[in-house]
Amino acid sequence: MKPHPHLLLLALPLAISTARAETGGFAPTVDMSGYGTAAYTRANTDQAEFGRFNQLGGAKKSPVDGVDSNLGIQGTLTVNDWLSFTGQGLARKLATDRWGADLYWAYAKAQVNKQWSLYAGRVVAPVYMISDYRNVGFANTMIRPPQEMYSQVPFDSIDGASASYRSMLGATNLTVQFAIGNAREKLALQGTAPGSHQTIRAHAFKALNVLAEHGPVTFRLGYAQTDITLDGDPALGALTGALNGAGAGYALPQLNRLADALAVNRKKASFMSVGLALDLDDILVQSEAGKRRTQSAVPDSTSWYVLGGYRFGKFMPYVSYASLKSSNSVSNTVPAACPAGYPDACTPTLQALSAAVSGGLASGLVEQSTTSIGLRWNFSQSAAFKMQFDRVRPRHGSGLLLNATPGFNRDVTVCAAGVDFVF
Amino acid sequence: MNKFKTLSVAALLTCSLAARAEEVVIVVNPQNPATRMFTEQAAQFFLGKSSMFTPVDLPESSPIRAQFYRKVTGKDVGEVKAIWSRLVFTGKAAAPKEYRTSAEVKKAVAADPNAIGYIEKSALDGSVKAILTVQ
Repeated sequence: MKPHPHLLLLALPLAISTARAETGGFAPTVDMSGYGTAAYTRANTDQAEFGRFNQLGGAKKSPVDGVDSNLGIQGTLTVNDWLSFTGQGLARKLATDRWGADLYWAYAKAQVNKQWSLYAGRVVAPVYMISDYRNVGFANTMIRPPQEMYSQVPFDSIDGASASYRSMLGATNLTVQFAIGNAREKLALQGTAPGSHQTIRAHAFKALNVLAEHGPVTFRLGYAQTDITLDGDPALGALTGALNGAGAGYALPQLNRLADALAVNRKKASFMSVGLALDLDDILVQSEAGKRRTQSAVPDSTSWYVLGGYRFGKFMPYVSYASLKSSNSVSNTVPAACPAGYPDACTPTLQALSAAVSGGLASGLVEQSTTSIGLRWNFSQSAAFKMQFDRVRPRHGSGLLLNATPGFNRDVTVCAAGVDFVF
Repeated sequence: MNKFKTLSVAALLTCSLAARAEEVVIVVNPQNPATRMFTEQAAQFFLGKSSMFTPVDLPESSPIRAQFYRKVTGKDVGEVKAIWSRLVFTGKAAAPKEYRTSAEVKKAVAADPNAIGYIEKSALDGSVKAILTVQ
């Protein structure tokens, strides 16, 4: 079951004419709206680049527009009081280091009643608290979502369906959302020419999202589970190839088992997260924590952030702290030496393999923290100016920094300023 | 000193005059069974947190709109717009429809049993039902 969004769009004219016939001249309405951010970003080093998750390149000492700028256009065709079609295109700089636009969402929505809504097509993958509007700068306090957390699940949308239930429990508004589908995302491949990328696929992606809003407090609980397959990672391919070769050549099946354990081929992956937001008078607090688990070379991770802000009229200064830690779910089981009677070359081969596995596992561990301070200024009803400084501290190696020179492990200061708008 | 006193008295007077002129009422369709509403409840509809009623708006430039949101939600029009943009760009809800005048708001509320709107108190008539006076 994978309804292609284009098919849904093709079905549109038919749906419109049917609706007309049924409602006796009900005129469907089309609403266009959009959002965007125009921002410049720069860092205080030329030895590494700062970018958002899944960007191939980022900002160095000279300011660039590609890190934090984007433009989204959304069209909604309301057929009648229960059926509508929404499409959203988003232009930004991503994995292939070129500006590109993709069909971010395209779905049909059926408002069954006041409680239930059903969506089919390309729908949001509800994995984070601000999943569905993380690209809408105007809707967010910070200039960009904390990358430590928002880099942990690569899927923004899934092709499938979702159901949402909204209800009131006393004074609490409850929203429960369940989504299921498949996804495919291009992933940036560091150190390659623009245009090349790896591909990660999610098979039977399932996500549950529970949101409770009570006055100024919002609480969120999310769980997503899927099988992932990663194609086009040359380092991982070489490593599993070498393990399988040695395992077959020396009749050491544990090497083949290790290769299977490392391979990202239909491997279980899950992401559990909690979020809390407080918007009380002039005080804003927002915090999330997430745990990622996989059974492959992709490491497990723990990520969280806390954001606090205070409103002074149209100005809101804010501070945030974000942290990402990771650990390997697969351990290095390459034997230290070959059993007696094996060829002389066997043990050195195992030692080389063991070093390669350890190196590969270690390089997958991405850890860093970021302290940010910033200011949002609502200078107009539809636009806000933001300025933000980040102090990025990679813990091992270069953390989430991009294209770092070998051995780079220094803290980096990033500055970004820009305007968010909606129209 | 005297001049200063006069000034502050004038300022106070202007404030109270302004407050009286800006008294706003929240209105619903006469068929709506609700008879009264708390400010916190009203805020939920106008911030998109509940889909029980369908809010309608005055234009962004309207001073009544600014007053209304400031008093009911404690937020200015821009902040409210930011909150709605979270719902709009995620397909969860459509932003409230805007009507140019209080007369048009009344017409829209009178035509939709689920609608909820706000108008200045002086514009109130029998076509809609007032359920909360915003102080």
